[in-house]
Amino acid sequence: MFEVRKWWSKGLLQLIATLLVLPYLFPLIAMVQGSFAGDGWGNYRDVLQVPGFFRFFVNSAIIAAGVIVLVYAVTMLAAYGFAKLRIRFREIYFWMLLACLTLPEVVLLTPLFTTTQAVGLFNTYWAVILPLAALQVPFAVLLTRNFIHGLPDEMFEAARVDGASSFRGFIHLVIPLTRPIAAAVLIFTLIGAWNDYLMPLVFLQSQDMQTITLVPRFFVGEFSNDQTKILASAVLTALPEIGAYLCLQRLFERGLSAGAIK
Amino acid sequence: MTVSAQERLTRAAGYPSRPRGRRLQASGLPWILPALVLGVGLIYYCIGYTVYISTLNWDGASPDPLSVGFRNYSNIFSDPVFWKSIEHTVAFFVTTFVLQTALGVVFAVIMHSRIRLAVVYKVIIFVPVVLAPAIMAPVFRQVYAANGQFNWVLSHLGLGFLAQPWIGQTSTSLAVIIAITIWQWTGLTFVLYYAAMSQIDQSLLEAARIDGAGNIRVLWSIIWPNLRGTTLSLAILSAIGALKTFDVPWLVTVAGPSNSTQFLGTYIYQMTIQLAHVGYGAALSIILLVIALVMAIILQVAARERTGRP
Repeated sequence: MFEVRKWWSKGLLQLIATLLVLPYLFPLIAMVQGSFAGDGWGNYRDVLQVPGFFRFFVNSAIIAAGVIVLVYAVTMLAAYGFAKLRIRFREIYFWMLLACLTLPEVVLLTPLFTTTQAVGLFNTYWAVILPLAALQVPFAVLLTRNFIHGLPDEMFEAARVDGASSFRGFIHLVIPLTRPIAAAVLIFTLIGAWNDYLMPLVFLQSQDMQTITLVPRFFVGEFSNDQTKILASAVLTALPEIGAYLCLQRLFERGLSAGAIK
Repeated sequence: MTVSAQERLTRAAGYPSRPRGRRLQASGLPWILPALVLGVGLIYYCIGYTVYISTLNWDGASPDPLSVGFRNYSNIFSDPVFWKSIEHTVAFFVTTFVLQTALGVVFAVIMHSRIRLAVVYKVIIFVPVVLAPAIMAPVFRQVYAANGQFNWVLSHLGLGFLAQPWIGQTSTSLAVIIAITIWQWTGLTFVLYYAAMSQIDQSLLEAARIDGAGNIRVLWSIIWPNLRGTTLSLAILSAIGALKTFDVPWLVTVAGPSNSTQFLGTYIYQMTIQLAHVGYGAALSIILLVIALVMAIILQVAARERTGRP
């Protein structure tokens, strides 16, 4: 975008970029540095020796996987229906779904609390998976519907003329063709589910059900507020997220930017 | 022949076309039903339930709650903490949106300008987006503490006189929450602007350069106007995000000191879970929901008028 030809203007731009990036690096450095204060690697050893530390990761993985599978299945069906099939009052249904985009999750707390207790889902993975999926579905449907809308009608017509049912059209056309947008849905559903704090906090009370976002809270109790170990646990929980991002960098960025392209 | 002529007529008259020649297609309703049951069903059920609870004076446990009609709502409007939360939300939205937009555009322009190590910079800016606020909260509590790393940096830059207990005092706590939020979301803003800038026609830029426009002039007169769509989307995203704010103020400052970082989300949580004023919390929830909906509609309409397309 900018034209920088002379050596000094190149250097100046590089300097500005570095100065602007430093504040973003700073908390990460502070986190790592703080986690080594006092005992050094000993902090990490203590954290890893806490029984059940690994359990937090397993729980987060189970919940994230559940939410992703549910959101993907429901979204693909609905997006195809909204984009290519004949539905009475289609726009009304669509706007009802879109209105849910504005919903803050804190609004769901009380009704879900009483309901999950009444139907015996309290303190199960479902108590977190279902509301998280419900909160992700509207945006996922919006994205995917727009994508399928862009696919030529003739293709679906041709499949129908050849005798394919809507369902076969779905399996053989929609599923393979929507892969790029499915990747986007996957990424932001993963981030949303993995990073959620409020739902597990309220609905998963027993220790062996809790997720990684509750790790700092757990260690405040475990190490009676020993900051260095809390930071070591923060580093350990952040590492898989950074690793996943670095491995799937393209996918993450494309997935998130797909959201803003109308 | 007659069928297609008839069809053309009905279409011209603005009636929904009902092709008789084509085979009748099965309704698509079963396809969208699972999404409706999960999304709309669960959420609307919860909203309906919340509306009912909001008319009660209930502690969340007693078997026969007292119905109080709309008294919870009228109490909210004379509740100073509610108005404080609204003020904080507005200030939070305006500052985070303006600063994030500026930073996002600047980063995107710089990364598009062939500098060295661009990939490294990109990774550093984007990593906060994928990290859970709940994981980073203890880090920020430490960084902004009176003896934290932020004050350490200030004193080493010769700005030691500015050192203060950033999260422990009412005058700076909200600024810390805003700073953390900007730290977290600039990566997303940057990625969106970066993608939008790749779509700008290069010949436009070249033409401007030939006419003698400098870098700043090009940024202001050509790049920025071309990013309008992205900016509007981000405005809607950050407005709704501001109303949903919970994790950061709750985990870093516990909405304090003395409500100085109170937001609607944290206030509802405090009321409902900690103080067991469940009815009052539900009424606050409904008000929050109404504000979010009204704002989304206003922004959407404004966006349509500005861009002039449906």
